[in-house]
Amino acid sequence: MSRKAQDATMHIRRTAGDRVFDTAIIILFVLFTFICIFPFYYLLINTISDNDLVTSGRVNFFPMLKDAAGNGVFGVQINNYLALKNVQDLGSSVMVTVARTIIGTALMVVTSAWAGYLVTKRKMWKRSFWYRFLVVTMYFNAGLVPWYMNMLMMGLTDNFLAYIIPGMVAPYNIILVKTYIESIPSSLEESAVIDGASTLTVWRKIIVPLSIPILATIAIFGAVGNWNSFQDSLLLMNNRPDLYTLQHRLYIYLNSSSNLGAMMSQGGTVSEQAAASMLNQRVIQYTVSMVSIIPILLVYPFMQRYFVKGIMLGAVKG
Amino acid sequence: MEGTVKAGLPAAERTPFGTRAALWVFRIAALLAGMALFFPPANPGRISEKINAAASLFTTGVSRDTITNSMGRILRSQWIQDTDITLLMIACVVVMAGVIACCTGACMSLGNRKMRRRGLALPILGAPVMAAGLFLIHKCYGSMLAHGEEVGKLDTIRIMLPDGFPVFCVFAGILFLTGLIAFLTTRPETNPSVPMEMEEKYKLFLMMLPVILLSFIFAYLPIWGWRYAFFDYKPGGTIGADNYVGLKWFGSLFNDPATVSDLVRVLRNTLIMSGLGIATSWLPIAFAVLLAEIRSTKFQRTIQTLTTIPNFISWVLVYAIAICIFSTDGFINSFLTNILHQTGANTNYLQIADHTWLKMLLWGTWKGVGWSAIIYIAGIAGIDQQLYEAARVDGANRFRCIWHITIPGLMPTYMVMLLMSIAGILSNGMEQYLVFENAMNKDVIEVLDLYVYHIGIGQNQIPLSTVVGISKSLIGITLLFAANGISKGIRGESII
Repeated sequence: MSRKAQDATMHIRRTAGDRVFDTAIIILFVLFTFICIFPFYYLLINTISDNDLVTSGRVNFFPMLKDAAGNGVFGVQINNYLALKNVQDLGSSVMVTVARTIIGTALMVVTSAWAGYLVTKRKMWKRSFWYRFLVVTMYFNAGLVPWYMNMLMMGLTDNFLAYIIPGMVAPYNIILVKTYIESIPSSLEESAVIDGASTLTVWRKIIVPLSIPILATIAIFGAVGNWNSFQDSLLLMNNRPDLYTLQHRLYIYLNSSSNLGAMMSQGGTVSEQAAASMLNQRVIQYTVSMVSIIPILLVYPFMQRYFVKGIMLGAVKG
Repeated sequence: MEGTVKAGLPAAERTPFGTRAALWVFRIAALLAGMALFFPPANPGRISEKINAAASLFTTGVSRDTITNSMGRILRSQWIQDTDITLLMIACVVVMAGVIACCTGACMSLGNRKMRRRGLALPILGAPVMAAGLFLIHKCYGSMLAHGEEVGKLDTIRIMLPDGFPVFCVFAGILFLTGLIAFLTTRPETNPSVPMEMEEKYKLFLMMLPVILLSFIFAYLPIWGWRYAFFDYKPGGTIGADNYVGLKWFGSLFNDPATVSDLVRVLRNTLIMSGLGIATSWLPIAFAVLLAEIRSTKFQRTIQTLTTIPNFISWVLVYAIAICIFSTDGFINSFLTNILHQTGANTNYLQIADHTWLKMLLWGTWKGVGWSAIIYIAGIAGIDQQLYEAARVDGANRFRCIWHITIPGLMPTYMVMLLMSIAGILSNGMEQYLVFENAMNKDVIEVLDLYVYHIGIGQNQIPLSTVVGISKSLIGITLLFAANGISKGIRGESII
C-alpha cells in the first residue's frame, strides 16, 4: 500500500531530471544483467551449433547449422551432448558428484536438524559450552596442510567417505536451524511432552515437519555446494581419478593442452565414432561446462524462494 | 518433581569421591577407546605393513578388502594364509564388541543408581572380551610369523606388532579396573520399584555427543597437525626427537631469503586483492539502492533473479565462461573478426598478466555483487516507509531521501560486513586464483591461500606450509577479535 502511495506522490512530482535518472538506472541494470546472463547463453549456443562454425568463430548471437552450401543458417543440434558418453572418465565423475550431492546433502540436513534442535534444549548438560564448541569452528581453522594431514591420518584420502562425513556437521546451518526452531511456539512441543512423547518423537513428529522451510533452504544450498565442490577432490583424491568430482574433471579438461578428442574412448557404432571425431577440444569443454551448469539452473527457481530467508536468518547470529 | 526427589536424598546417598573419580576415568577411557575404533594410527589389527595404513580397527574387522588389497602376490603364493586373515578379522570384531560394550556401559553410567550398576557390569564383561580379542590378534601375529618363517618370506610379508596393540591393551586394563572399582563402590538399588532411568540433561548430552565428536575430529583435531611445524618432516617419514628443529621453520619466515621474498610477494597480492575488495564493498549497497529506485517491482525482481545466478556456479565454471568469452577463439575475438571485420584478432586475454588484480576484482564483482546486494535489498524493505513520507512532506527530493534515510538505514549491516571482511583480509580462498593462474600471471595472482597450497601439497614442504598456515590462523583470529572489539565499542553489539 505504502509503495503505491509513494508511486502516486512521485508521479505528481516527477521532473525531467527524475526521468533521465530513471532511464539511466534502467539502462545500467539492463546492461549489467546482460553481462551476467550473456556468457551462459553464449556457452549454450556454442554447444548446440555446428562444430565447424563454432571453431571458425562464426557463432556469435544465435545457434547456427550449416546448410547444403556450407553457409551458416539458424538451427540447433544436440549431437555434442549425445557424444558426451564417449568422453573418458566423465561418467564416473557425474556418478560421484550425483552420489555425494544426494547422500552428503541428506546427511547434512538430518545432522543440522538434529543438532539444531538439541542446542535449543536448555536442560542439556553444558549446553552453551557445546553450542559454542560447534560455532567457533566457523571462525577458526587450523590451516590447509594440517587439515590435509588430519584427513590422511583418518584414512579419508582416496576415499569416497571424505566427501560425506566431514560435511555432515555444518555449524552455520546448525545456527540457522536453531534460530528457526526457537521461533516455533514452545507450547506445541510442551503439549507433546505432556502426552508422553520422547525427544526423538517430538523431533520427528513436530520439529522436523514445522522446520521444513529452513531445512529446504539448507538442503538447496548444501546441494549446490556439493555439486560445485572442487577443492576436496583436488586435495584428497590423488590416486583415485575415478572419484574426481565433476568440477575437478572439468578443471582438468579446461587445462588439458592435448586434444580432448583423442581422449574419446574407442568403440560404439560407426556414426558414434564419426560424431566423436567431429568433437574438438573446445566443444567438449563447453558441453561439459553446460552439463554442470544445467542442474544449477534447474534448481534455481526453487532456490530463489529461499534466498532472502536464508541470508537474513544468517544475519541473526545465535 | 525431580527437585523434590533430589532434596529428599539423605547425605549418605551422594556418590563418594573415589567412585566419581573412577567413573570419570572410566567414561573418558571408554570415549577414547570408542574413537580409537575409527582411528587408523591406533589400529591393533595392522599386524603386517602390507595392511592398508589407512584402515582403522573397524574397517579391518568388517572389510576383507582393506586387509588384502595390497597383498595380491602374498596371498596367491600363500605366504600369509587365508585362515590367518579370517582369524584376524574375527579377532578385530571381538575387540570391537568389547569396546562397544564398554561404551554402552559408559553411557549407562550417567543414569540413576540402578542404571549405573547395570551399565558398570558391562565393562567387567567387555574388557575381558577386548583382552580375548587382543589375545587372538597376538595369536594371529604369532601364526603369521611362524608361517612366514617357514616359507622364508618374512622380508616380504613384514609382520609386526602395531602401536595400536599396546594402546588397546592399556585401554582394556583401565576400563576393567575403573569399571570394577566403580561397580563395587556403587551400592545396588534396594528398592525394586525404582525404574532404570537417566536425568534429562545427560540424555540430551548423549544424543548430542555424535555431533560433538564429528566436529572435534574434523575441526579441532587438525590442530594436532601443527606439531609438524616443529620437525623436519618429509612426507611418508616420521617425526621424533631426531628431527625436532624447534622454531627453525618459524625463523625461516624472516631469515630465509627465498621464503621472505616469496612471502612479501604473496602478501602484497593478498593485501591488494583484499583491499580492492574492501574498497569496492559499497557496490552492493549502490546496487540495492538504485534497484529500489526502479518503480516496477516485476522488473526489480527479474533483475535480482538474473544477476544472482553467477553466485551459484563454481569458480571452475567461471573459468570455463572466461575461456568461452576471452580466449583465442572466444566471443571477443570472433566478434571482432566476424562482426567488426578486424583482421588478426586472436589475443588470448586470459594469458595476459596486465591488470590481473583488477581482472580478479571484476570477476569477483561479476559473480558476487547481485548476491551481496540481497541483504541490502531486504534491509531497504525493512526501513519504515513513514520516514520517507515525512521527509517528502518536508520537501526532500529522492536523492536526499536516499542520502539521509536509506543509506543510514543500511549502515549497521554494512559495518558488520566490512568488519568481517577486514577480519578475513588474509583469507581470499584459493579457488578463484587457482583456476585463473597460468605461467604468465603466476607472480601477481598467487595469494596466501594459494601459496600454502602450492608449497604444502604441490611441493610437499609440509613444515613450512604448516608454519605459514599457523601464522595466518593466529593473525586471522586476532583480527576477528579486534573487529569484534571495535564493533562492541562502536555499536555495542558483537559480530560473532
